Amino acid sequence: MYELLAQVLKFLLIGLIYYFLYNFLKLMVLDLYEERRSPDETGYCLRCEDGREFPIRRVTTIGRAKDSDIVIDDPYLSSKHAMIYRRGRRLIIQDLKSTNGTYINGRRIKKPVALKEKDVITMGSRKFTFLRREDRGVERGSDL
Amino acid sequence: MESREEAIYNKSLAAMALVGFLSFLLLSIYRKPVDFLPFYGALAFLTVVFIGYFFTGWVIANSDKFLLLISSFLAQLGLIMLCRINLELFKRQVMFFGVGVAFFILVSFFTKYLLKLKIAPFFYWGATVVLLILPLLFGVEKGGAKNWLVFGGFTFQPSELAKVTFAFYLAGALKNGRITSFPRMIAEILAVVGLLTLSKDLGGAMLFYFTALIVIFVATSRIDLFAVGGGLFAALGVLGYNLFDHVKVRIEAWLNPWQDVPGRGYQIAQSLFAIAEGGYFGTGLGLGRPDFIPAVATDFIFSAFAEEFGFLGAAAVVLMYFLLVYRGIRIALRLRENFEILLAVGHTVMFGMQIFTIIGGVIKLIPMTGVTLPFMSYGGSSLVMSFASLGVLNGLWQRALEDEDDDEA
Repeated sequence: MYELLAQVLKFLLIGLIYYFLYNFLKLMVLDLYEERRSPDETGYCLRCEDGREFPIRRVTTIGRAKDSDIVIDDPYLSSKHAMIYRRGRRLIIQDLKSTNGTYINGRRIKKPVALKEKDVITMGSRKFTFLRREDRGVERGSDL
Repeated sequence: MESREEAIYNKSLAAMALVGFLSFLLLSIYRKPVDFLPFYGALAFLTVVFIGYFFTGWVIANSDKFLLLISSFLAQLGLIMLCRINLELFKRQVMFFGVGVAFFILVSFFTKYLLKLKIAPFFYWGATVVLLILPLLFGVEKGGAKNWLVFGGFTFQPSELAKVTFAFYLAGALKNGRITSFPRMIAEILAVVGLLTLSKDLGGAMLFYFTALIVIFVATSRIDLFAVGGGLFAALGVLGYNLFDHVKVRIEAWLNPWQDVPGRGYQIAQSLFAIAEGGYFGTGLGLGRPDFIPAVATDFIFSAFAEEFGFLGAAAVVLMYFLLVYRGIRIALRLRENFEILLAVGHTVMFGMQIFTIIGGVIKLIPMTGVTLPFMSYGGSSLVMSFASLGVLNGLWQRALEDEDDDEA
């Protein structure tokens, strides 16, 4: 009697153990999916004086070089001028040893600095404002 | 997304409760006369799990339920085996489980205050050394290793607590991303490893050494140090093999257990027989012969589990440990302060190494060393301290979420 019961139950128990495991693997997949999905859109942008908006990705490079994420054709900018990257949920700006330097609110930065909303970034002769993108923009971005 | 996760957690909790009820009911009729003690024990266990699960959710807003659930499930599988092997040990282990969950909640709550104190790494190192010296002076010997303290009928293994303090020490010493004083760091680590070797806890020595090596590698990203450390380990291993008799015995039993089955190779041979007996689906709960394996409740619980739940059950256990380690690494990736990252990595690596050492030992992948399988093996100190480690990880998870909220504001 006991033996029969144990024999039947062993399949059931293994099934249940794997069901438990399956749930946790699903959690892990959800987790990784979330990690992969969110990074590209940070929800912030740089607004140029002429009103153009440049979205900021997980890693955004700024410079004269054609392969920069934000290409700015300005003789005062270096070809690889600065970089904005995400760390946790903070966005950090780093000057890439540019000739004319990068200024945050009028102060030249040497080390990487965390950006706050409405910071004014000056590179060469251009001024940019660091802004949170409007909800509309974020939605459109996540549809892509 | 939140509610979807919640639903998955609840489903897993239900599956866990069902596994518990079915196997403990089966175990209640296993012995003649029928005794419902296992069932009551299971009720107590599941009550603790449910209270712990909902209480942490209530006290700590963003508690990581993943950690508590998966460790409780592993503890439950361990308890099923213990209950089948020895009822006395089972009763005690259920009690220890309660204490462990209490520790988990307390530690996850107090970790952030501990982090604010910013205690110098030297004190953590001192605490580790004191914890390891105490049993050498006043300890008693159990199963070949002298690492137990006795306080009036209650035994405690300080090396389990030393694992936690050692992880704190490593994180503190390496938080600047480089080794400030090379000779000092080596001396400090080798002192800890040496003390463990003196108490004949070889598994522990290996565990601490590799944890230190990996945390150093994570902190400095220097592969050369890692290679030198690995080479040094091999040299120490050869030295140990020639100097100490018990090292020699262990390694010979590993290389060829069939040479001396009734003697040196007995443990490992019985363990392999048990695993082989299990096949894919196992013999069924209560139908195997785990009583033939020595130290089955502590070191060899994995073989007993593999015998009765088969290869599939054992593989599931290994995968669950993998998920636990994955979660630890994920917490480390979300953190920002170097100290906190290394602390999370240290605890996770300690878990991973311990699991690898003991499971590798019982399946004859590496030489057998006597460390416990976290959450499954019988042993109060091990269970409670494993939960405390998880508590630290959970506390760090709170920190990671806090930081992100700060930035949002």
